[in-house]
Amino acid sequence: MTGQIVQFGIDALSLGSLYALMALGLVIVYGILKLVNFAYGELVMVTGYTLFLLNGSPLPWLVMALVAVIIAILTGISTELVAFKPVREKSVTAVLITSFAFSTLLQNFVLLFISPRARQVPLPDIFTQTVELAGVIVPLRNLLTIACAFIMLGLFSWALKKTVLGIALRAAASQFRMARMLGVPANLIITTAFAISGLFAGVVGILWLGRIGSVVPGIGLEPLLVAFIATVIGGMRSLQGAVVGGFLLAFVDVSLNYLLPQHLLQFRDAFTFSFVILFLLMKPDGLIPGPASGERT
Amino acid sequence: MLNRQSVLTFFLLIVPILLLPGAVGIMDQRFMQRIATVLCINLILVLGLQVFMGNSGILSFAHIGFMGIGAYTSAVLAMPVRMKSMALPDLYSCLATIELSPILAILIGALVAGLVAALVSYPLMRLSDAAAVITSFALLVVIHTIMVHWSALTNGPRTLFGLKSATNLYLAAGSAVVMVALALFFKESRAGVLLRAVRDDEIAAVGMGAHLSRLRWYGFILSALMAGFAGGLWAHFITSFSPNAFYLKETFVILGMLIIGGSLTVSGAVFGTFAVTIAYELLRFTESSINIAQLFPKPVVGLTEVVLACAMIATLILKPGGIMGAREIGHWNIFRKFFPDKNV
Amino acid sequence: MLKVENLSVSYGAIAAVKKVDIEVREGELVTLLGANGAGKTTTLLAIAGVLRNSGKILFRDREISHWSPEKVAHAGIAMVPETRDVFADLTVLENLRLGAFTRRKDTQGCEKDLAGMFELFPILEERRTQPAGTLSGGEQQQLVIARALMSRPQLLLLDEPSMGLAPAIVDKIFDYIARLKQTGLTILLVEQNARKALTCADRAYVLALGEVAASGSAREISESSDLAALYLGG
Repeated sequence: MTGQIVQFGIDALSLGSLYALMALGLVIVYGILKLVNFAYGELVMVTGYTLFLLNGSPLPWLVMALVAVIIAILTGISTELVAFKPVREKSVTAVLITSFAFSTLLQNFVLLFISPRARQVPLPDIFTQTVELAGVIVPLRNLLTIACAFIMLGLFSWALKKTVLGIALRAAASQFRMARMLGVPANLIITTAFAISGLFAGVVGILWLGRIGSVVPGIGLEPLLVAFIATVIGGMRSLQGAVVGGFLLAFVDVSLNYLLPQHLLQFRDAFTFSFVILFLLMKPDGLIPGPASGERT
Repeated sequence: MLNRQSVLTFFLLIVPILLLPGAVGIMDQRFMQRIATVLCINLILVLGLQVFMGNSGILSFAHIGFMGIGAYTSAVLAMPVRMKSMALPDLYSCLATIELSPILAILIGALVAGLVAALVSYPLMRLSDAAAVITSFALLVVIHTIMVHWSALTNGPRTLFGLKSATNLYLAAGSAVVMVALALFFKESRAGVLLRAVRDDEIAAVGMGAHLSRLRWYGFILSALMAGFAGGLWAHFITSFSPNAFYLKETFVILGMLIIGGSLTVSGAVFGTFAVTIAYELLRFTESSINIAQLFPKPVVGLTEVVLACAMIATLILKPGGIMGAREIGHWNIFRKFFPDKNV
Repeated sequence: MLKVENLSVSYGAIAAVKKVDIEVREGELVTLLGANGAGKTTTLLAIAGVLRNSGKILFRDREISHWSPEKVAHAGIAMVPETRDVFADLTVLENLRLGAFTRRKDTQGCEKDLAGMFELFPILEERRTQPAGTLSGGEQQQLVIARALMSRPQLLLLDEPSMGLAPAIVDKIFDYIARLKQTGLTILLVEQNARKALTCADRAYVLALGEVAASGSAREISESSDLAALYLGG
């Protein structure tokens, strides 16, 4: 019995860690620009393919992972330059479409230059090893995910509270114009938000690949959907909400995995997404509404 | 109702559609036939998207989902009974013995798509901005998941086969002409005019409250009806398909056509469909020529999508209203000269 | 120090400010008076770089008409908007630190100024760890003024600092404004409460329907009875 509880706890916590990081990466941009980045999932894809391309290079794995995350950050920033900046002032719809087009663009670049088929990524042994904890066999990568998430969440909330840039980011999320009138440059804030978004997606990408071992062009869809659901549940504009939403979603997912019979389990996505629609209708601001917000930029 | 310019627009817009069978007849090639038929079907989809998006200003991702509903409904209703036992062995007995004529099945498919849209979408219509888009995206995922897993009706993620071919170029082109009229009619109807009036004015939109939801709802239902109809036509043209045909890739193509042509006008929808189809086929031809000639060590895939994506982004940056802008072709000064509006 | 020449601003088809000329000299407190909708706030926002405008805005002989708000702030102009715009979920302390964004490298100076602000506005020190959204209207007004001062501005733009506050608090706010003027700070003050504003101002402009209807020394304006009747609410 204890074993089962430990197993369930670690499953839910590690999946929740992943989901929370994904959701945070999406919300950091939404919170400031009030715009949804449909190309967010492709940051995970870019991370995977960077790892794949570095396979066989003499670099130690940690360096490869670092390079992959940096590429994700750069891709995040280029999303802003290509899909957001030129149309930001025109309309919400325009930005949604450009980011959707940018996501297709990235995916098809991969089809064009690499391959439509799945590619193995290099992974160190730590992702396949297991340890025994309270009588149950636990994959080490789950513990690694939890540790990684907690370190990142800790660092992130520290930076938001204690650094001037962090305070400026939070200020811009509630009153962008006022922040600018105090001298906070709009471009700095927006670029930083996209860079952070890329950082989260990159780390999530590494951990996600650690679970599945290979990368395909469509890999970004699932993280994007997860991030959508988690942020809708938690509150589109609140960072804490994204984290809460991520863990909650993972808890529900893992519980359904344990409880639902097989033939209903395949409809899990339909259930969760119907739930998302209902949730948005009943509680448009999510569980944690976040800062009372003014205008878009 | 329809003013002089709209009537003129209608006649100008159906010219290229009517020319299609003639052009294909001259070339007399089967693959041209295919391209022209798919063009007409895509045109109906793009027009359907324009009806909702162009008038309400809200991006809907669910559109292609309704195409799928129309496709599967018409397929299940029109498939020959003896094929059903093979293609859909688990089909419910009440449906297993039905075999309707394809045209009737396509019409019922459209109605079912419209009905589903009417049932699920009403509460969604009061949402705007990001919430509206995320819910429509979620709706697409829900429809897709159901199509993939409701094996009894859809053969699951596997290809559904066994349909008789029933859609030809004449049927597709004829339907497209009717849809152009329908889209123009909605645009100039009371609902269309009101929707467009508040499209870019949030305060007015809030002021209209529940009334606005209802107007958007009408647009959404009509849009889904058209998508469902196109789905049925497509199903009876292609005769075998899987749920993946109704997902993000198709959404991207249809959206690209509308955006490049211009979502504000029916003319934009028509122009975008023609322009993108021609460009698309040329690119695909290039792609396959490259692959046949084996210029590169591995096959080239995705080039067309890369170009389309770039074109979409460029359009939105350089000419946010699309190539046709905000005015229907019948309102162009050049035509005004020839057909002066006597009421003015 | 600040010269506004021929400034026009429109919202769509509606012209809110038409060809306005204003000058503020070093060390002066100039007030912009007028009824609701006269174009006072619009003028201020145009100077702060928030609204697109035509005309010329010169600050220390540099043209700043088309600068972004952040660039204007870096040039030494601090804005206190009428909506106050405290960052509601940041603490009082964080709000103040962000006020010093333009000179964040000067940590020692910032700390010193912070102490100075707490001396000037003791209530803020008491509330320093509270989220700014939990403060009362009067406290928020003190906070936004303090936040603007943290950047050590050369010119302070104050928009309706008395709006929505109880009379006793209004007196206190004007006390602070008078004290700031004594320190030599140049201030452009927008007010509907004309009598209060004229008691501490050097010069005044009266705006009506987007145009300058009258200007002169504070005494001239306050003594001209028909002006008072016409524009300043009796």
